[in-house]
Amino acid sequence: MHQTFTIEAENIAKRYNRQTLFQNLDFSIETGRSLAITGPNGSGKTTLLEIIATLRRPSAGSVRYLVNGIEIEKREILNLVGFQSPRSNPYSELSGLENIQFIGSDVDDTVIDDLLYRFGLYEHRNKQVKFYSSGMKQRLKLLLTILFRPPIIILDEPGMNLDSAGRSILFSYLESIRESRIILIATNEVSEADWCTVRINLE
Amino acid sequence: MVMFSFAVIATLAISLSIGGIPLSPIVQSVLFWIIMFFCGMSGLAHVFVREEEQDTSLFLRIHSQPETVYLSKVIFNILVFFLLQMAITPLYIFLLQVEIRMISAFIMIVIAGGLSISTTVTILAAIIAKAGGKSSLFTVISFPLVLPILWIAISATRATLEVRGRFELNNLYFLLAFSGVMIALSYILFEYIWLDE
Repeated sequence: MHQTFTIEAENIAKRYNRQTLFQNLDFSIETGRSLAITGPNGSGKTTLLEIIATLRRPSAGSVRYLVNGIEIEKREILNLVGFQSPRSNPYSELSGLENIQFIGSDVDDTVIDDLLYRFGLYEHRNKQVKFYSSGMKQRLKLLLTILFRPPIIILDEPGMNLDSAGRSILFSYLESIRESRIILIATNEVSEADWCTVRINLE
Repeated sequence: MVMFSFAVIATLAISLSIGGIPLSPIVQSVLFWIIMFFCGMSGLAHVFVREEEQDTSLFLRIHSQPETVYLSKVIFNILVFFLLQMAITPLYIFLLQVEIRMISAFIMIVIAGGLSISTTVTILAAIIAKAGGKSSLFTVISFPLVLPILWIAISATRATLEVRGRFELNNLYFLLAFSGVMIALSYILFEYIWLDE
């Protein structure tokens, strides 16, 4: 059965000591739409994404997740969200494949192999992540984000360290699934922001 | 490895220093639990501190439920500390010529005390993992929690080593209950510690 997911953010604010990062943020986004969050360095793009993904608490306001109009419990949200961040790194002592198996023990091997091929990591799957280039690590992080085919995909600077081939792989995949997902991207790249249907700019 | 090295070196150093002269039961108990305490403090905190240092904690937050993370870390620490105790305790007994009068009670207290230390240090490590100045903070916040554990464990261990020692089961119950309460509270509160502010 087709499910429609909605994220509703109401009056979101984040303050650290006396400094206000952002405030009075409201938006609503549903399946089939994509949101670009732009702004200068230090404007709070990463913080906002982490608040939306329930990995960080807002200073004010709330974020609600709805499935077919019914609000779901906060505990269930992480099961629905694929989150990629520069601050999140796989285990460097494990191989790419071992990192995938660590979080995706239930995922079919054929799905894993398909994703490894798609992201150009199949030949490097048994190599320890500490020997990956920065571009390969980024590809692995993106692969881990979409491994469970989450209905909500949150990407923080997804193009960072990716070459043109890597960006092409990423956005061709996102294009193929955009109608059935909510996609949120924090970015300073104009092309990535333009790809999304809605934009929020943090000053 | 760090924990084991510390325990072996400390035990050997004490053994060589006393030069074969047997120590009193109270001194043997105190030294034993001081070694165990510092092993725990130096090694068990790594389960969370390393995640922060290697920038894998957010990766873990994203892909695992908080309760799963806590349970896996505490079970790991309990097992590691138990293995450490199994390795070091016989060495300590041999090198310091410890005479155990009540073997069953001694074993139970060592296990219960180890359980209390490992469960307490695990949750404290989660609290200080994100803080700067981890060492000093760890010492300060661990003091009120670890002190009763050491006090009871030392007292109970002493009773098992003395010729006319009176071993009180209440001490064992206290250590087990302490561990149980620590695990239960940590399980409930861990989500709030784990989440970023």
